[in-house]
Amino acid sequence: MAEKLNKHVLKNGMVILAEPIEAVGSAAFNFMLPAGASRLPDGCCGAANIIEDWIFRGAGKRDNVQLSNAMDNLGLHRTSSVSSSQLNIGAVMEADNLADALELYGDVINQPHLEDSQFAPARQSCIESIRGLEDDPRSKVMLKVRQQFYPSPLGRSTVGDMEELKSLTPEKTRQIVKEHFDLSQAILSIAGKYDFKKIVQQVEKLFAGRQTKPQPLPKQGASGQKYTHIHNDGAQVHIGLMTKTVRPVDKDYYNAQLAVSVLSGGMSARLFTEVREKRGLCYAIGANYHALKEAAGIGCYAGTNPDSAQKTLDVIITEFNRLKEGISEEEMNRAKVGLKSSLIMSSESSGSRAGGIGGDWYMLGKVRPIDEIKDQIEKTTTKSVLDFLNRNKFQEFTIVTIGPKKVNV
Amino acid sequence: MEFKKKTLPNGLTIIGEMNKSAKTAAIGFFVKTGSRDETPQISGVSHFLEHMMFKGTEKLSAFDVNNAFDRTGASFNAGTGWETTTYYAAILPEYLGDIQNLWSDLMRPALREDDFNLEKNVIKEEIAMYKDMPDFDVLDRCQKLYFGDHPCGNSVLGTEQSIDDLKVQQMRDYFTMRYSPNNMTLAVVGNFDWQQVCDIAQAKCGQWQNQKVERKVTDTRGSGKKERIEKPNLHHEHICLISPAVSAESRRRFAASLLSTIVGDVVGSRFYWQLIDNALADSASMQYGPMDGVGVFYSTFNCNPEQTGKVMDVVNRIFADLKEKGISTEEMQTAKNKILSELVIHNEIPKGRLHSFGGNWVYLGQYRSIEDEIRDIKSVTVDEIVSLIKDYSPQEYTQFSIGPAK
Repeated sequence: MAEKLNKHVLKNGMVILAEPIEAVGSAAFNFMLPAGASRLPDGCCGAANIIEDWIFRGAGKRDNVQLSNAMDNLGLHRTSSVSSSQLNIGAVMEADNLADALELYGDVINQPHLEDSQFAPARQSCIESIRGLEDDPRSKVMLKVRQQFYPSPLGRSTVGDMEELKSLTPEKTRQIVKEHFDLSQAILSIAGKYDFKKIVQQVEKLFAGRQTKPQPLPKQGASGQKYTHIHNDGAQVHIGLMTKTVRPVDKDYYNAQLAVSVLSGGMSARLFTEVREKRGLCYAIGANYHALKEAAGIGCYAGTNPDSAQKTLDVIITEFNRLKEGISEEEMNRAKVGLKSSLIMSSESSGSRAGGIGGDWYMLGKVRPIDEIKDQIEKTTTKSVLDFLNRNKFQEFTIVTIGPKKVNV
Repeated sequence: MEFKKKTLPNGLTIIGEMNKSAKTAAIGFFVKTGSRDETPQISGVSHFLEHMMFKGTEKLSAFDVNNAFDRTGASFNAGTGWETTTYYAAILPEYLGDIQNLWSDLMRPALREDDFNLEKNVIKEEIAMYKDMPDFDVLDRCQKLYFGDHPCGNSVLGTEQSIDDLKVQQMRDYFTMRYSPNNMTLAVVGNFDWQQVCDIAQAKCGQWQNQKVERKVTDTRGSGKKERIEKPNLHHEHICLISPAVSAESRRRFAASLLSTIVGDVVGSRFYWQLIDNALADSASMQYGPMDGVGVFYSTFNCNPEQTGKVMDVVNRIFADLKEKGISTEEMQTAKNKILSELVIHNEIPKGRLHSFGGNWVYLGQYRSIEDEIRDIKSVTVDEIVSLIKDYSPQEYTQFSIGPAK
């Protein structure tokens, strides 16, 4: 594959990464700012979510309405999210509009108005999102299980905490923006169709003049409890589960990824076959690899009727533990092909590739070329995965259930 | 982009849009059948059948099928709606032949009784899952309330009872009637070899038997009823409004699509500025739902139950304003920019392109390039949108709400 990474580092430390994609007319960019949920001071859970909204309510010479109209007129498909470590803001657009879009985002990052009058609606909309999560048990259970699984504050809710949100003031939140929009740790990643020379000139002009200093990383505390049940008189019991595995920097990273793929990479994978196809216990069942820079886990979700919840959980845990006992060559080949093809498919889309290269840089301090990842997947063997699983047995599972009935763990 | 088309003697249409510089290909069978083609006795059969198509053929077991898909690394799935059932995969070009062979085999399934009985549990789990998703539940119930006895009100999933009562022979009969080659389209986009696609189609699908397939198409403007149910475990009020619109075949569909963007796009729309920006609602959107011979606008809202009255006042005012004052040129231009950019971005990858390419063929029986779509959206005028509002005012809505006890 002919992809080639462009890279430039500003004097203040901000990194710009870009990768061209042939055959597309779009461009996508993403700013990763070190203002994710776990990076913020204690007692401010939800501040990142307010900020994600508030910074777009007027910036530079445009007020709230003018800024939104300017973005709409460029046909921007805006993306934003709060993760454990980052506040991500970006957009996908037709490539011709990239420079104009970066100009607007320069204002949003450097000169957000952060007016008092816009604080209340920004916060209220976060409060409503938390309330809305109560009506979405499937999303809530995975959020809760990450909260319990990761050492505090890494698993801190990326939606916010109701009480802490209510206690936040415009002053306090403005202070957080000032301290945490630290460009020395910011990453701008771009993919699709672009002219890198022009981007560098523009980004230098927008951001190089601003010097900021990094905030200390939070101290890690303990993980939460191993089993949590939240009562809800819904139709199903929603089961969320996580167990520890290696991080992306680890030499066993590909062994872990392939183990997850054997468990849940496709419809012929272990969990789907055992839980849904053979026993008809669930409609939705799946596991995935979930990584922060500091820790990583394998997460699993299943939704099932209350009478089948115990059996579903038992089969899932049996399958996790049984994995180390043997994997056939055919299973391994399917897992490899599955990982490789999803990699190539996600590299076709400017939006997902922009996210991918930024994520790599943050996690690994480098961007892995697609061919390198393919080689690493290829080199992984059944033996190496089994050795890895036997050296790193799944010892503990953190489990959360939401529904009308508890399970025994 | 090069358009290709071939029709087999039994009526199966094969269409392709070739893009040799794409890294992948996408392929799908589009079957013109869905819950609107069901009778009450077989409610849910289209969707249940879609699950059963993965259970194999006389020669392949369900596990063989899953295995065969996963061996190619395909990103594949299927979906059933009110009007169509679609089976699709995105795939690296070297595996396209394998996947086309596999999908073609699966289009003539075994429909074994044992598999049928076990899969009933999975379908019932899926029904339960959607009960825990109020935003979906409210739309499904509002669809029923709006359409009443019109077949587009039929539930895609069916009910636990209808699934329990369904017999495998009823499913086999439905399959024979609806999965007739003249009611199916095979669509391929991206990087593929057209001759190979045609050769496989001829070899695998050429002997499929034809049936006379019909669908009753009638228009309706909805019941206009308003209903609410309570679920004590909910925290938000979930509201769905359905109002009449033009059908998928109408030349006015571009104006309808622009109108829904002006009124209810997730950002920058009238709903956004009057309901989301001020945090009165948690979500608010309007979407145009074009269907075969009939069409609707869906407006959906999600808010704190205490704000429901205020939210509905604002919505009613927005709808009244549209009728009284129309829309501005600026609003229309912004909506055009949004839709055009979405169109280009969404369609530049085979996986995204497949659905509009195949869908256009199923609904219109014609090839429409991205350039055709762009031209038609650009050509819409303010007067056309205003005239659409006059004929299809969103004020004419049917309402269903689900929320906590009052």
